[in-house]
Amino acid sequence: MANLTTRFFGLELKSPVIVGSSGLTSSVEKIKTYEENGAGAVVLKSIFEEEIYFEYEAETNKQDLGYHNLEYLDYFDYEIKNDKIKQALELIQKSKQAGVSIPIVASINCHSGSEWVFFAKKLEEAGADAIELNFFVLPSDAELEAAKIKDYYFKIIGKVLMDVTIPVTIKLSPYFSDLARMVKELSETRMAGITLFNRFFNIDIDLDKKELVAANVLSHPFEYLQALRWIGIMSGRVDCGLAASTGIHDHNTALKMFMAGANAVQVVSGIYKHGAGFIKELVKGIETWMDKNGYQNMDELTGQANLQKVKNPSWYERVQFMKHFGEFDGE
Amino acid sequence: MTTLAEYLKERRDQEWRAELRKKLKGKERTNIPRVKMPEVDPNERVKFQNVEVNLGLSIEQAQREASRCMDCVNPTCIEGCPVQINIPEFVKNIERGEYGQAASNLKLTSALPAVCGRVCPQEKQCEEQCFYTLKLKKEPVAIGYLERFAADWERESGSVSVPECATKNGIKVAAIGSGPSSLSFAGDMIKLGYDVTVFEALHEIGGVLKYGIPEFRLPNATVDEELENLKQMGVKFETNFIVGRTASFDDLEKEGYKGFFVGSGAGLPRFMNIPGENYNGILSSNEYLTRVNLMGAADDKFDTPVLRGKNVAVIGGGNTAMDSVRTAKRLGAERSIIVYRRSRVEMPARVEEVKHAEEEGIEFMNLANPVEYFADENGRVNRMRVQYMELGEPDASGRRRPVPIEGSEKDIDVDLVIVAVGVSPNPLIPACLPDLKVSRWGTIEVGDNMQSSIPVIFAGGDIVRGGATVILAMGDGRNAAQSMHEYLSK
Ligand SMILES: Cc1cc2nc3c(=O)[nH]c(=O)nc-3n(C[C@H](O)[C@H](O)[C@H](O)COP(=O)(O)OP(=O)(O)OC[C@H]3O[C@@H](n4cnc5c(N)ncnc54)[C@H](O)[C@@H]3O)c2cc1C
Ligand SMILES: Cc1cc2nc3c(=O)[nH]c(=O)nc-3n(C[C@H](O)[C@H](O)[C@H](O)COP(=O)(O)O)c2cc1C
Repeated sequence: MANLTTRFFGLELKSPVIVGSSGLTSSVEKIKTYEENGAGAVVLKSIFEEEIYFEYEAETNKQDLGYHNLEYLDYFDYEIKNDKIKQALELIQKSKQAGVSIPIVASINCHSGSEWVFFAKKLEEAGADAIELNFFVLPSDAELEAAKIKDYYFKIIGKVLMDVTIPVTIKLSPYFSDLARMVKELSETRMAGITLFNRFFNIDIDLDKKELVAANVLSHPFEYLQALRWIGIMSGRVDCGLAASTGIHDHNTALKMFMAGANAVQVVSGIYKHGAGFIKELVKGIETWMDKNGYQNMDELTGQANLQKVKNPSWYERVQFMKHFGEFDGE
Repeated sequence: MTTLAEYLKERRDQEWRAELRKKLKGKERTNIPRVKMPEVDPNERVKFQNVEVNLGLSIEQAQREASRCMDCVNPTCIEGCPVQINIPEFVKNIERGEYGQAASNLKLTSALPAVCGRVCPQEKQCEEQCFYTLKLKKEPVAIGYLERFAADWERESGSVSVPECATKNGIKVAAIGSGPSSLSFAGDMIKLGYDVTVFEALHEIGGVLKYGIPEFRLPNATVDEELENLKQMGVKFETNFIVGRTASFDDLEKEGYKGFFVGSGAGLPRFMNIPGENYNGILSSNEYLTRVNLMGAADDKFDTPVLRGKNVAVIGGGNTAMDSVRTAKRLGAERSIIVYRRSRVEMPARVEEVKHAEEEGIEFMNLANPVEYFADENGRVNRMRVQYMELGEPDASGRRRPVPIEGSEKDIDVDLVIVAVGVSPNPLIPACLPDLKVSRWGTIEVGDNMQSSIPVIFAGGDIVRGGATVILAMGDGRNAAQSMHEYLSK
């Protein structure tokens, strides 16, 4: 039987299927179930700096007694922040006590540089095996230049990497004008891995209510194509591991990601739809296919179809529907 | 039943008040400038931890100030008082020279008038709702000073009246903690005829009034004299008694206690959880003030190097922070600095404390927030990194929120840091009662009648509110007494 051991997060994983950051990983029981079903690691739901502020607002509204308890509420954001760390700590420690042996990765998303560092350090102390930076600046500020955004990324990443000793990885968005260079430069820091791509909360408009609503919370199977392309382009050109995320809804897609160069895949929507058993199916499907196709281990498989190895590499970089690349007759 | 408005009207219509109103014209009253509280000179007072800053009004000052009060038809000041003291009545009693009467008026609703006169944030309560503030845009009648005057006068006159108590009903009830909530609960229950015992973990009675608020603001003797009143009424006090450790609730129930009031306060210090906060020389305001106030650490003979610093930084902007920073000055600090992440106007402390602090040479480092501490080779803090802030949009408290300025960090030398960023409820009682409903933050959940999820247990004050004020704690104690009485009478 094929050996599915792989490396990501700077760690050895006994399976290339990772449960991605989401509410899926919020309890000891669930984490245990994922391990039993063959997950190689779990990523906890991100701690969001912004959310602390929202909770602070909500608590202040709820508890407000005017000046009577202004002093009590004055630094309540620290209470909320410390409570979040405590919860993460409890989740990690209790999972480990309950016998979970796969890596538990903490995830953060902040605004201010000091908070990124603060949380990274605290989560390290809490016993996380690695940290995933859920890093994204929505470029909605029309005054903000791309160079500044990039600067911001590297400044913060530099600080976090300096202060934290456990492995740090980053989950990126595809929205960079110099994506290849960005990924490459990131891989040249002490970054232990890069995940392509995060899929964000989307909004839509409800025409009846005439208001904004959440759209397509879960991904669709066809959404894997973008990650596939970029894993393929970057594999072999980066100094760290790559993982694929978004749209992995069956073992075939996972296998394609490995072929393109991913060391592991992160899944979320599939588990939301089908439960923890989805992981088992995925692992089994991967194993069976590898056995059938004569792959003994992940190394033999990973990157077999990346930009540097395929016969027609230009396909990875082709974006226009020119005739030369394939016929489309409207079917 | 008469409504509050009817009651107030009835009182206002008394002949003596009508007469007094005629004594001076409105203009004559409003032309009198607000009295200035006599104070000990700042240079002198910073030498002593136990010299009260405010000296209190003289009889002449008090009467003159009282005559500023317009005895309004619609006394809005009362709306500003959480326990609805009949303010015009007591003020007018002072104006006509009936100081003892004034004190009795206060004691109808407040168990600790000498305390409240000193520590209530009047500028945000009664005085904010005074006719002078609202309509004349002038300085309000100094209601707080007058409250203190009446209470002090009564005490000093030696003619303290002991309120009447109903015949003993033989039912034992316990108050846990001896802060203002428990004291007012005990006062009301003893009046209703119950056999009341107050259990206090520390060796001193009074809760925060003793271990928190320093003597330069609230002398222990003042608190003790108010306590004497309760003792004379028959309230029993057990000190060095930790309910949940010395004895459990079960033990007390076996001893015959039928009802419990939990007023165990919020004594668990909070920290910011930033790097280096564990170094020596960094302590909570709670620990600092308790050691100075209750353990005589301010005494020169006391060997307390931990508590003495040359450069002392106090983190926070509330009363606790002001008390700590002023204490540090009195203990000999060369620099005592308030480090607060918002600006001056957003500070939760009483305006008077901030003013006094300024007079005493306290430095204010506003819009600054510590992010890390550093220590010398012995592990004693020697440096603090602060990050500067700017004010953003208003948050839910209505104050503009502090937003860090990236890259603005600066180091300052410190050898003592006192963290005064709030406290959390004491966890012991909830921990020994698994059926007691508590919030995510450890506060005991109660209904409007202060009854908890365990019917024989009522609670109030900071253990319910997280952290509030003396007057609200007292209000809770009264409310709980009324409800427990109804519950036990069923
Ligand atoms: C430094 C400082 C300054 C303040 N300044 C002001 C001010 O100027 N104005 C104002 O209005 N408010 C002020 N406050 C707030 C005010 O003092 C509190 O809101 C008030 O004292 C709360 O009263 P309480 O009865 O709930 O409990 P507390 O006063 O906190 O008393 C609780 C008592 O319960 C005891 N206890 C706890 N657990 C047990 C147990 N298991 N068994 C027995 N005993 C127990 C504790 O030892 C303590 O003595 C200040 C607070 C502090 C700390
Ligand atoms: C309900 C939900 C919550 C999520 N929360 C987070 C989060 O806290 N942090 C994060 O980095 N990604 C979060 N994600 C994104 C997922 O980790 C993942 O990148 C994305 O869903 C794409 O993977 P998928 O196609 O397998 O769902 C969330 C996704 C979903 C559906």
